[in-house]
Amino acid sequence: MMPAEPALPRTSQRLRRVLPWVLLVGLLAVAQTALVRLTLDYESAREQELVEQTATVAASDIKQSLGRDLQSLQALLWNEPPREQWLRDAAELLRARREMVRIERRDLEMAIESDVDTPYRPPLFTQLRREAIDIDAEVACATATRLSGPAYSRSYFLPLPGGLGVELLDVCLPVLERGRLAGYMVASYALQGLLTEAVNQEIGQRHELAFVEGDGTRLARAGSIARGRGVFVSQRLIDLPGMALQLRLDSGAGEPDLIPNLATALVLGLSLALSAVVLLLVRDVRKRAAAEHGLAEALAFRKAMEDSLVTGLRARDLEGRITYVNPAFCEMVGFAAAELIGKMTVHNPPPYWPPELVDEYSRRQQVRLAGSLPPREGYETVFMRRNGERFPVMVYEAPLVDGQGRHTGWMSAVLDLSAQRRAEELSRQQHEKLQATARLATVGEMASLLSHELNQPLAAISSYATGSINLMHAGEVDAATQRAIRGAIERIAEQAERAGRVIKSVHDFVRRREHLREAIRVDQLIDAVMPLVKLQARKSATRIEIDLPMPPLPMPRVVCDRTMVEQVLLNLTRNGIQAMEAVAPEHRVLRLQVRQTQTRWVEFAVVDQGPGIADEVAERLFTPFFTTKSEGMGLGLSLCRTVVEQHGGLLVFSNRTPEHGGGTEFRFTLASEPGSAASRRAVPGPPARQAQDADLH
Amino acid sequence: MSQPIPTVYLVDDEDVLRDALAWLLRSRRLLSEGYASAEAFEAMLEQRSLHGTYLPRDPCCLLLDVRMPGMSGLALFDRLIERGLIEVMPVIFLTGHADVPTAVAAVKRGAFDFVEKPFSDNALVDRVEQALARSAEVLARCQVAQAVQRKLGELTERERDVMRLVIEGRPNKLIADDLDISVRTVEVHRARVFEKMDVKSAVELANLLRGAGLADR
Repeated sequence: MMPAEPALPRTSQRLRRVLPWVLLVGLLAVAQTALVRLTLDYESAREQELVEQTATVAASDIKQSLGRDLQSLQALLWNEPPREQWLRDAAELLRARREMVRIERRDLEMAIESDVDTPYRPPLFTQLRREAIDIDAEVACATATRLSGPAYSRSYFLPLPGGLGVELLDVCLPVLERGRLAGYMVASYALQGLLTEAVNQEIGQRHELAFVEGDGTRLARAGSIARGRGVFVSQRLIDLPGMALQLRLDSGAGEPDLIPNLATALVLGLSLALSAVVLLLVRDVRKRAAAEHGLAEALAFRKAMEDSLVTGLRARDLEGRITYVNPAFCEMVGFAAAELIGKMTVHNPPPYWPPELVDEYSRRQQVRLAGSLPPREGYETVFMRRNGERFPVMVYEAPLVDGQGRHTGWMSAVLDLSAQRRAEELSRQQHEKLQATARLATVGEMASLLSHELNQPLAAISSYATGSINLMHAGEVDAATQRAIRGAIERIAEQAERAGRVIKSVHDFVRRREHLREAIRVDQLIDAVMPLVKLQARKSATRIEIDLPMPPLPMPRVVCDRTMVEQVLLNLTRNGIQAMEAVAPEHRVLRLQVRQTQTRWVEFAVVDQGPGIADEVAERLFTPFFTTKSEGMGLGLSLCRTVVEQHGGLLVFSNRTPEHGGGTEFRFTLASEPGSAASRRAVPGPPARQAQDADLH
Repeated sequence: MSQPIPTVYLVDDEDVLRDALAWLLRSRRLLSEGYASAEAFEAMLEQRSLHGTYLPRDPCCLLLDVRMPGMSGLALFDRLIERGLIEVMPVIFLTGHADVPTAVAAVKRGAFDFVEKPFSDNALVDRVEQALARSAEVLARCQVAQAVQRKLGELTERERDVMRLVIEGRPNKLIADDLDISVRTVEVHRARVFEKMDVKSAVELANLLRGAGLADR
């Protein structure tokens, strides 16, 4: 059991209980966040990849478009067409290719020989003359000459009326006439147009396409997306002879939303579901803990109840093994629970079975195990304590039935009856003592009444007599006085007669008791007084030996007034016990002996081991009101003798010689029942003896 | 005053015993009155003391049985103590053996004696005579006290004041100062006190009051 250490352990315990949950929830949160994060990242990466792909597609579109244009341009020069033919073809081409805004023929000096403008735009070089911004075209042509093939120029800005402008790109093709460079053909693209025309319409709808410079300056732009959303960006370099165009593609997809994405939604949903499950789990665990706590409480309560019971509890399984004992049972038999539990009864009986009764108990157990129900009111039996002491118990048994309704064993409640037996014994003794006291009190009452009844007439007689004597002494007795004296003497006679009547009534009372005589077996007589004798003996640690005729000798029956003879027996035994007060305890033995001495007489003897009766005491022993005891009245022995003599018997005593153990023997005789078997078959001589030790404690 | 006639009251439920005792007492020339119960005796006392005082006229004593049906002798004894009578009416208990301890206890509380039944008769009568003598003595003292009381009753209030100061031994002059009256008046009161109380001097007056147990009051 834990010592009283409040607050602190409880807090740590609580912490220990809460910590796993905190950790679990924390981990869950981290995991889910990471999952969502990763999912989002993955989504972004995918989107980015998509954008990259789109960008590649767009770039290749542009490149292809440019390639086609180049072929078309080169076709214009096919077979060195005449000027008009070329003009027509160029115009035709410009109509077909919207991204191209102008085609010019130049001579070797870069002077414009002829030019055609796109029909879709107003003339370009109104704000600025073509020659003013010819430098890029010249560089391209120089490159073209060097490469002997088409070359592109850097893009350049051409301001337009209304503050607007357009970014242009030139491509220069060398014109060969019979294998010799004859001039150049320069075509101008509007970058804007290149984007819108070359790139797939679909891409343009979802993305923003732009040509940018190294520093990020946007040269031309196509497509439209909501501003600020372009998170996914891809750049492609479109390598052209003479220059490289940087294409930038902004995705209109923007940052991926949290929910609309299926994967994210799934992950989120699962996370939520997981959280819910965890919550449910927590609730379940909490409920379970509460249930466990309740169960523990109930168990503790039950255990406390069982432990506090005074009744011993014992459970046995169907083989008779002990499966449970409560502390009361252990205390009762003096064995620890560990010594009892698991004991098999067949070869190893429980240690509380008295060895001499094991067979009987085993039989009973077999009967019980065979399934016969024990009596509801229980049965009484004897158990043995560890110290070998046997004690009576009351056992109530009931079948043990488990939760599934199976019969699994037997439950017994065991009550220790020894205390109850002791209490019963005590109460019986007290009752008998009370009866004896009542009897004595009756005698006392009677004596008191008698003394009062006799006192009155005697006092009156005395007074009348004294008065008369006084008068006669006074001198001459005149006639009147004489009459008065006669009257007084008459009263004296009356009162004397009254006293006589009192005495006679006592005698009548004694005679009336003679009708109460009955025939009674001597052992019954002895048994009746034994509790009181034992009570007296126990106080002085005297052993009582009872010596009665044993079969085949018949038990004698005597005819007597039971109460009075019991009184005699009590008186004599009490005297005997008191006589041994000075004797060493081991020699304090009082023997009660009954013998049929003659056909008509049964002799009772009460023998003590005391110092005997001194001669001078012996002389007056039966004299009424003679006593050697401080609180005695001196009536006991004389009354005893009177009672015995009234029954026609004789009460005598003799001091025993030291060879016979010393002490005094009181003997009295009572008439045996005439015609009884005992009196017919009475045999003189030493009868069978039975020495019976009175249990003293 | 006539010669007092002593009376012995016998209270015993036994008629024969009362009769025998009366006979015995008469043989010694003593008058007796018998009562069969404590209640009857009490009724007699009530009847004879209608004047408001229980003081008997003549010396008397009571032979009282301890055990009686109805009110016991001991209970009657208690009632007599309450009435303040046991001095002037000494009580001799008659007891059986069983009552001896209670009778002894009663003696300790003021009973004159106890006699165990059966009794030595003339010795009992001797005790009775002694009790009567005691009664007479007490009675006489009581009667003196009563007479003094009666005389005191005749004094006026002023006379009583003067008397108190006189007994204290103060001279007339100081008494006059104390009571704020003239010396002459004190002398007159003093003379009347002496006359009413039937004494000749202050010393005699003081003795008289002390004899009646009044001096200290």
